Amino acid sequence: MRGLVLTLAVTLAPLAGHAGVEQAVDDHILPAVAAFQADTTALRSAAEADCTQEAVRPAYQSAFDAWMGVAHLQFGPLEETGRGLSIAFWPDARGMVPKAVAGLVAEADPVIDDADAFAQVSVAGRGLFAIEAVLYGESYDADDYACRLAVALSRDLARTGHALAEAWDAYAEILRTAGEPGNAAYMSEAEATRELYTALMTGLEFTKDQRLGRPMGTFERPRPTRAEAWRSGRSQRNVVLSLEALRGLAAELAEAPETDAAFARAIATAEALDDPVFAGVADPAARFRLEALQQEIASIQTATATEIGAALGVSQGFNSQDGD
Amino acid sequence: MRRRSFMGALCAAGSLPAFGWAAAGSPAWLAAAREPDGAYALFGIARDGSDLFRIPLPDRGHAAAAHPTAPEAVAFARRPGTFALVIDCSLGTVLHRLDAPEGRHFYGHGTFVEGGRVLVTTENDIATGEGRLGLWSRDEGYRRIGEIASGGVGPHDILTLPGDVLVIANGGILTDGREKLNLDTMRPNLSYATVAGGVDETVELAADLNRLSIRHLAHQDETVAFAMQWEGEETDPVPLLGLHRRGEAPMLARVGLAEHMLMKGYAGSVAIADGLVAITSPRGGRVHRFGLDGVFLDAHDRADVCGVAPGDRGMVLSDGLGGLLTLDASGLAPLSKADRAWDNHMVRVPV
Repeated sequence: MRGLVLTLAVTLAPLAGHAGVEQAVDDHILPAVAAFQADTTALRSAAEADCTQEAVRPAYQSAFDAWMGVAHLQFGPLEETGRGLSIAFWPDARGMVPKAVAGLVAEADPVIDDADAFAQVSVAGRGLFAIEAVLYGESYDADDYACRLAVALSRDLARTGHALAEAWDAYAEILRTAGEPGNAAYMSEAEATRELYTALMTGLEFTKDQRLGRPMGTFERPRPTRAEAWRSGRSQRNVVLSLEALRGLAAELAEAPETDAAFARAIATAEALDDPVFAGVADPAARFRLEALQQEIASIQTATATEIGAALGVSQGFNSQDGD
Repeated sequence: MRRRSFMGALCAAGSLPAFGWAAAGSPAWLAAAREPDGAYALFGIARDGSDLFRIPLPDRGHAAAAHPTAPEAVAFARRPGTFALVIDCSLGTVLHRLDAPEGRHFYGHGTFVEGGRVLVTTENDIATGEGRLGLWSRDEGYRRIGEIASGGVGPHDILTLPGDVLVIANGGILTDGREKLNLDTMRPNLSYATVAGGVDETVELAADLNRLSIRHLAHQDETVAFAMQWEGEETDPVPLLGLHRRGEAPMLARVGLAEHMLMKGYAGSVAIADGLVAITSPRGGRVHRFGLDGVFLDAHDRADVCGVAPGDRGMVLSDGLGGLLTLDASGLAPLSKADRAWDNHMVRVPV
């Protein structure tokens, strides 16, 4: 049925904007948000049962996997009150996450005993990267402060996961009613389509320039410890999962065979890297493979712009693209 | 309907002397835009967000200066443009074209002093990189009558305070075309000047904020709000809004780290209305509101938002998707939508 709708839609030029939005919300966004809520709840339960590093790590890994399904939806609910940054504070050019975590530990800050107060802690001291710093940092015992910190961080993240799901329940309606009177977020159906298209393009850019580009640094000065979530061994996995999530979003927006093929090539390359934390950035051969992957993501961007962007009649922002 | 009644007013106005801004069908705001075919124009906008007039521009516009009493406005080219058009907003015609003198370019903003008899424009002396304020006599058909120093590099926005005091945002960035040349050594400032006496007060921020370019201004009485753009890491928790009264130290408005990062280190416009200050970030698609005491109030999302000006109640916002929205105590609400990209600024027309 969905295939039929898509086939019909591509015969209209330009595409009626709304069709893809409805599907993206129902088939792509809401299931991913629900999965993130479930996996962060499971992380909380795991930490409450046993807060030692080995015991919590598997649930942390699952929660991070689930985050990769929503991380590219950087608008609306993830921007309200800085929610997205409180889930994942990265890139962290100034090393604020380890500093914030070390600060809590050094002072044995009692803020971790009060969920409401903890939710006011700086976003750099919360979320997946703070949990990573605890679970993959200095080892600790079950009765140490760090163990209680792991619980507090997991509870806070689960609370954010719940709040995100609630926010999306309301926001889905705002996307669905784009262009109706009183909708200040989306003053036309095309604006809602554009939001999702922008999330897609921004997500591709982020994976190419940040997830790959940051550890690559320059040829003379590669920066492997700038890789995303390298402490927990997730850098390569995050690239694969982000591309899969973006491919899913692209498929909801329009039937775009060239875009899909470009995604397939890049994902195959990313899976075959065998370089889990991009330690190979200093090795010319491994580095060449990362550069090739960047090129393949650039090809996805081109295909997306020509196939999906042109069909939807959207382009990037007028004022946001150059300052004055 | 509104347009037709405006056309009626237009014909009547043609045979009568100027009656002030009411003759222009009472536009509430002026804003430049890019149209779907790539052309640029300046629009007069009614209170309900509809178009009252459209005047083609030869290239991309930036801001406009509304004359304090006559239905006349000057639309400026975006930097480093060299044209400005004086527009009769009651006839919808171009009265004069101003060209920057040899060796100068405009920065996109200007203001009137002496009851509207003199127009002041922010300019770059291309050879030296020093900021200049160009002076133009309206009574003499906008003849260039002189210039004074702006008190810094890269003067951008400029306003007239009570007593014909000029306040100038010297952004501090030396540019060649649109390329930035001096980010390491830039020293922005807020300067106060009079046409007769030149600059008589200069406000600089702390040395570690030298990469914080002071760019856009709003004022209420003698309180000046200045919006800034950070030329450093987005995570650096620097303020994007400052408030200043002459003779006092500037007050910097702070927000939490997450809110700061969502603005992407960039404020594109600022306005004051109803005792609140708003700054916009087109890069973050976000609006921040503060009290006049610099205390953060709230944030609102709107893609590619940049223009902001006082409205009848609260503020009015414009964006690159063609939307005009109101922002007041009850939050954001749509006003109108047109098939064009509103450019950086909205200018409130004097009532």
